[in-house]
Amino acid sequence: MIRLERLTKRYGDKTAVDDVSAVIEPGRVTGFLGPNGAGKSTTMRMIVGLDRPTAGTALVNGKRYAEHRAPLREVGVLLEARAVHPGRTAANHLLAVAATHGIPRTRVEEVLGLTGLSAVANKRVGKFSLGMGQRLGIAVALLGDPRTLILDEPVNGLDPEGVLWVRHLTRALAAEGRTVFLSSHLMSEMAQTADHLVVLGRGRVLADAPIADVVAGATQGVVRVLTPDPDRLDQAVAGTGVTIRRTDDGALEVIGATAAQIGNAALAAGVALHELTPVNASLEEAYLTLTQDDVEYRETQGAVR
Amino acid sequence: MTTTAPPAGPAVGDARLSALHVLRSEWIKLRTLRSTWWCAALIVVLSVLFGLLIAAFINRDGSTLPTAAQDGDLVAVVTIGTSFTQLIAAVLGVLVISGEYGTGMIRSTFTAVPNRLPAVFAKLVVLAVSMVVVGLVAVALTFAATAAILSGHGIGARLGDAAVWMPIVGSAVYLALVAVLAFAVGALVRNTAGAISAAIGLLLVLPILLTVAIGLTQATWLLNVNALLPSAAGAQLHAYAAPGGTVTGPGGRGPVQATADVVLNGWGGLGVLVAWILVLLAPALVLIRRRDA
Repeated sequence: MIRLERLTKRYGDKTAVDDVSAVIEPGRVTGFLGPNGAGKSTTMRMIVGLDRPTAGTALVNGKRYAEHRAPLREVGVLLEARAVHPGRTAANHLLAVAATHGIPRTRVEEVLGLTGLSAVANKRVGKFSLGMGQRLGIAVALLGDPRTLILDEPVNGLDPEGVLWVRHLTRALAAEGRTVFLSSHLMSEMAQTADHLVVLGRGRVLADAPIADVVAGATQGVVRVLTPDPDRLDQAVAGTGVTIRRTDDGALEVIGATAAQIGNAALAAGVALHELTPVNASLEEAYLTLTQDDVEYRETQGAVR
Repeated sequence: MTTTAPPAGPAVGDARLSALHVLRSEWIKLRTLRSTWWCAALIVVLSVLFGLLIAAFINRDGSTLPTAAQDGDLVAVVTIGTSFTQLIAAVLGVLVISGEYGTGMIRSTFTAVPNRLPAVFAKLVVLAVSMVVVGLVAVALTFAATAAILSGHGIGARLGDAAVWMPIVGSAVYLALVAVLAFAVGALVRNTAGAISAAIGLLLVLPILLTVAIGLTQATWLLNVNALLPSAAGAQLHAYAAPGGTVTGPGGRGPVQATADVVLNGWGGLGVLVAWILVLLAPALVLIRRRDA
């Protein structure tokens, strides 16, 4: 379990992480979402003591990370930035990290096999592709068989097979009762992997809820309607709290009314309906709605900043 | 590749941090980089080559010289390379820490050892011990390579005499101390190029600048400062000191400037060098603890 209490990090007058409090529970995959620069990586680095919080604390399994007798047994971490000397082979990198805790060579061979790196174990890391580097980072995270895993963009650079493998691995780790805290910018991936979401925008927590609640809470239902007489339907459905947009293909998108209400109104007005489809909000839309005011780096058209 | 969670053997369950474990980790790190072996090989090769070069230039008949002069020549030949190999020791000392900051490896190191200082002390121990060993191998091979030439000149090899073996062993200790000094510079600067420049500036360039200034001004205080620089003070560790006689530097540079008030013997030189190390290492350790990795 990870407990963040009013965690804050400032660089000069820029606040990267702003008063973040959250509890990452064991036994489920918690997704950590947010636009670039939202403070996800900084938060994760503060949990394992690489960055010093300006204020607040991060506790892992009840203690600060550095206070544990065997930190690698408590937390396995994959950082977004490379954390490997390119001149060393994958096996030697793992052996060096394992040695700090007296983790035996057999375990190093185990995680090499688990991450599919056995064949390249004696290759220098500098020659690794991005995907192989990610696998090595995951191998390091698994080394101590930790109760808590913190993975910053684990599927970054992985091929589809690797993406699937990370999904299965993280689900299996959570099913064993471990805490899995996972950041990703791939919404679709998160939708298939995470049970719970913490959404960060400009260093603040925008949402901390089960994934379904985030989707339901952040977006309104949209109903797609196709009719030969859009103008009359428009009049029939219009009312307070109802917004109607026309799409490029001539359909109407109705927000603020259910499919049943629209169908009844159309019947009463004698308007034929060719299609009446409730459109499920996606996590992607929910995420964009939540973070639209909190994007750190938004493209400004034609403007030079 | 499997998709199930990792089965961990019972040995992983006993895993925990300890000073000995961290020491072992740092030894693995040092010996698994090619740069370490390049530096070690260069130190040995340069030491032997410079020893042979100086031995070849000896043109006097040692058998007519007093014992002290023979001993002085022997020490000079065996340790002459130290003036050059110290720079390689400095480069390695910088790389051991700046290489980790430059590549991001430091994040793996400090994640595994979150209190940080045990990892740093382990690095220092491993670096210093390896440098002593490499330095001893270098002087041993240099001695072996030059023995025939020296005996041809009638120069005896009284290795059992403390005045002879102490500066020879001292050259290996000096390499270790220079590496530690450079490590402190590397920890402060964190950038490899900058730290190597700063370390070489301190060891090589500053003494040259001071020598020029002394030549122009003849100022006694500059002589004193010069004698207290790390390389000048450290040179006393590998200089032959005739029992009760004058101190001569490596290569027979002659007596230490008589006009300087500061005249260091081997132990004095050691003390000054250790003081330099402490002055640079203390803030480095504080910054390592405080800075974001």
